[in-house]
Amino acid sequence: MTTTTLARGLRLDGVTVLKLSVLALVGVLIAAPLLRIVLDTLAPDAIIAWSEVTTGRLSRNLLWLPLINTLILGVVVACGCVLIGGFLAWLVVMTDVPWRRTIGLMATLPFMIPSFATALAWGSLFRNSRVGGQSGFLEGLGLAIPDWLSWGMVPTLIVLIAHYYSLAFTVIAAALATVNSDLVEAAEIAGAKRSRILFGIVLPVALPAVVAGASLTFAGAVSNFAAPALLGLPVRMQTMATRLFGLIEVGQTARGYVIAILLIVISALFLWAGNAVVSGRRSYATITGKGGRAKRFQLGAARGPLFVVAALICLLTTVVPVVILIASSLAPSSSALLSNWTLHYWIGASDPSIAQGQPGIFSNPFILSGTSMTLALGATVAITTTVAGLLVAFVLARYGRGPLAGAINQLSFLPLLVPGIAFGAAYIALFGAPIGPFPALYGTFPLLVLAGTAYLMPFAVQTGRAVIQQVSGDLDESARMTGASFPRRLAAITVPLASRGLAAGALIVFVKIMRDLSLVVLLFTPTTPLLSVLAYRYASEGFGQFANAITVVILVISIVATLLANRLQTKSQPWLKS
Amino acid sequence: MTIRRYFVAALLAGIALPAFAQQDAALDAMTAEELLPRARQEGTVTVYAFTSRIARVETAFEEAYPGIDMIAYDMSSTEQITRIKAEASAGIANVDVVYISDAPVVYTELLGPGLVLPYVPPRVVPLLDDSEKFPLLAQRLSTKVLMYNEEAHPNGSPVTNLWQLTTPDWTGRVIMVDPLQRGDYLDLMTEFVLQADAMAAAHEAQFGEPVTLDEGIANAGEQFIVDLFANDLILVSSTDDVNAAIGVVGQDNPPIGFTSYSDRRDNEDEGWALQVANTVEPSNGIIFPAVLAVAANAPHPAAARLAIDFLMGDDSDTGGPGFAPFYVAGDYATRSDVVSHPDAVPLDEFIAWPIDPAATAQIRQEVGDLVLSLQ
Repeated sequence: MTTTTLARGLRLDGVTVLKLSVLALVGVLIAAPLLRIVLDTLAPDAIIAWSEVTTGRLSRNLLWLPLINTLILGVVVACGCVLIGGFLAWLVVMTDVPWRRTIGLMATLPFMIPSFATALAWGSLFRNSRVGGQSGFLEGLGLAIPDWLSWGMVPTLIVLIAHYYSLAFTVIAAALATVNSDLVEAAEIAGAKRSRILFGIVLPVALPAVVAGASLTFAGAVSNFAAPALLGLPVRMQTMATRLFGLIEVGQTARGYVIAILLIVISALFLWAGNAVVSGRRSYATITGKGGRAKRFQLGAARGPLFVVAALICLLTTVVPVVILIASSLAPSSSALLSNWTLHYWIGASDPSIAQGQPGIFSNPFILSGTSMTLALGATVAITTTVAGLLVAFVLARYGRGPLAGAINQLSFLPLLVPGIAFGAAYIALFGAPIGPFPALYGTFPLLVLAGTAYLMPFAVQTGRAVIQQVSGDLDESARMTGASFPRRLAAITVPLASRGLAAGALIVFVKIMRDLSLVVLLFTPTTPLLSVLAYRYASEGFGQFANAITVVILVISIVATLLANRLQTKSQPWLKS
Repeated sequence: MTIRRYFVAALLAGIALPAFAQQDAALDAMTAEELLPRARQEGTVTVYAFTSRIARVETAFEEAYPGIDMIAYDMSSTEQITRIKAEASAGIANVDVVYISDAPVVYTELLGPGLVLPYVPPRVVPLLDDSEKFPLLAQRLSTKVLMYNEEAHPNGSPVTNLWQLTTPDWTGRVIMVDPLQRGDYLDLMTEFVLQADAMAAAHEAQFGEPVTLDEGIANAGEQFIVDLFANDLILVSSTDDVNAAIGVVGQDNPPIGFTSYSDRRDNEDEGWALQVANTVEPSNGIIFPAVLAVAANAPHPAAARLAIDFLMGDDSDTGGPGFAPFYVAGDYATRSDVVSHPDAVPLDEFIAWPIDPAATAQIRQEVGDLVLSLQ
């Protein structure tokens, strides 16, 4: 008895140590940078930035107009994404629409296409002559494109919806797949109308997912940098993300940090509100036991037209942008996308008469080093994030009680609320100067790795949790009863069984880093070139073809990795099963 | 004098040791021939440059000095200043040579705290005016001036007074780079304010009446900026966008805008018809130095000086291969022995306002805030 208590006490101590070290990890990675920017804005010479940004003569342009634009983007994109994503999810999961599997697969792809790729593709098609230079394909065909369709809010909204709807689709489809078909059939037998089934059974089950989809897409839209930067600036449309970038770029860091903090608060507020709605409704989520094969709605005469609509949405958001990007990386003029194709922008040597003598991307050593830097970053962050996420998830799953675990839990999901660009700003603030004996990390690879790891922590913890839940329990218990030690159980049971899930998660992290712009756009230095930032810089300097060519490279790598991940985790997409 | 300057700079920066300063002073006195073996030993030289033309300098430099690898980064002046400050506070020594415009900010924020050091190759000292040697070496004079499309306007500039840009004729048809993104455009805005009296006189010349100031607006220069923005001024993020908008041939009604006179050199290659408006009341814009400096903790100090020496050109009439990318109409060499480009308006007939970096630095932030409030 005494021995057990002693052992128990020791084990608890060990657990406390483990918890404390994990807390320290997430504290340094996540809490410290954010605290640092708050403290920076409270310094005596910086605190005036708060009043300048919120109430002064400049506040209208520094904060309020960008804030309004940001909120419009967030709300409209969230609504659009839920409508489109929900519609596709309903078609794929609940109806007998043809080619369901293909639609289901294609609807998950747009999120893997970087939003700046879609924005560039939009420009190649719809760009008008407002800012001069090359006009887009449609204007090249002789159509007059009005400003509102070329620049500003409308194209930004369209591009963001086309990018984020697949996030809403994934969440909602997963929820719809859990609707108990027994309930639906029971209701049908009892003579309920379709509308009543929809509102009485399907929607309540899907509601948490709809709210989750809306808040995730909202958070994505308000923090997106690429689309408003590429499409909004020529008509002076600023969002908080572009304003933050501009302020940091010209060295007005205090004002920039204030904007960053406010952006985090707004993002957090909406996600919290969404979360509150979902938890209030949690009782509905208990109707999840799935009784046999779902009976599908018969679409009847609407089957054809609805299929066409779905197919169009999928084609316009996946194939079309990719084709445009490829064509415009080959065409000397985006107003004649299909003429005079040349490989100059890919492999050509420097020619003073083309694009100020910029060599093709594969002949440019800077871009080649950017490619290897980006790949290395993706691979490193995939590993560090997966390991860190697994560690946090393990602690939360096994020792998830108590204030320490609560703090770990809250902190590790905090980055979900922090827009990438604000996170980048915080990382520069904290790690830009030496801390005690540690050297400054500005312009180094480790800084990018740290920021990437912290930024994707919530995602990795989620993956880790799912994986641990999959293999925990009986197997682990039996092994422990036969006397297997913890490392042995981990090596012999958890890791082998979880390897597919972990690998898939790591691949997704890899893709997220590859295509990310908002996190790294402020961390970029000439010594750490990254493809997405290089593409953005080419695009903003008017060298569209080079930007598009680099984007195609990112796309190809991303899509290959995504398809690989999908293969590894088909199980997590139950709606794809027939 | 020079050595004392270094000591002051080192003291201010608190990073460089006197020993380094002495070594710097020794390097400063060397000729290119003396620098070369040391530069070879260093092997590379990293340049931050505010112009894409640095790529051609890189090629020429590596041809002239095989074995020394020039790594050139094309970054806007604003970005360079932010990076150099961030690198300094991070204790990173990355860059050797800084080639930059934005003199008002460079003097106060880089030279003042000792993040960059002055260097004038001994052989060009007699060829430069004092103002071109102090506080930093000026390699050439560059411009941000009003340019128009000469194909659409074969009889000369369609604008003869800056205030015409605020009239309905030019609504949505004046284009320039966002002054909050590029420092030289902010300098241009600042110059309008500094030249408020000239702007007021030009207003009377144009409209026959004195300028009426909006509430909170202090002078005619500020009022001009307000009116220009109110007239749907188009802001873009790079000068190439401005050039293409104004310059592309075959336009019926091209916009007009502020850009670099020297971009006229690309007319043939890019299919532009850019031409400078040199008959404008009270002026067409600004002319300002492009300066060269050595980074305070340059990892390759000898190669840095050799690169600056190279960028100053040789003794031929046109400055030779090091200066070739800059020997174009619209750029004005500071060296008195380089003859001015035959296609350009001679410097003494060019009406742009030369900027006063010190005066500009004083009110620059204020003007920046004004521009911000207008966006």
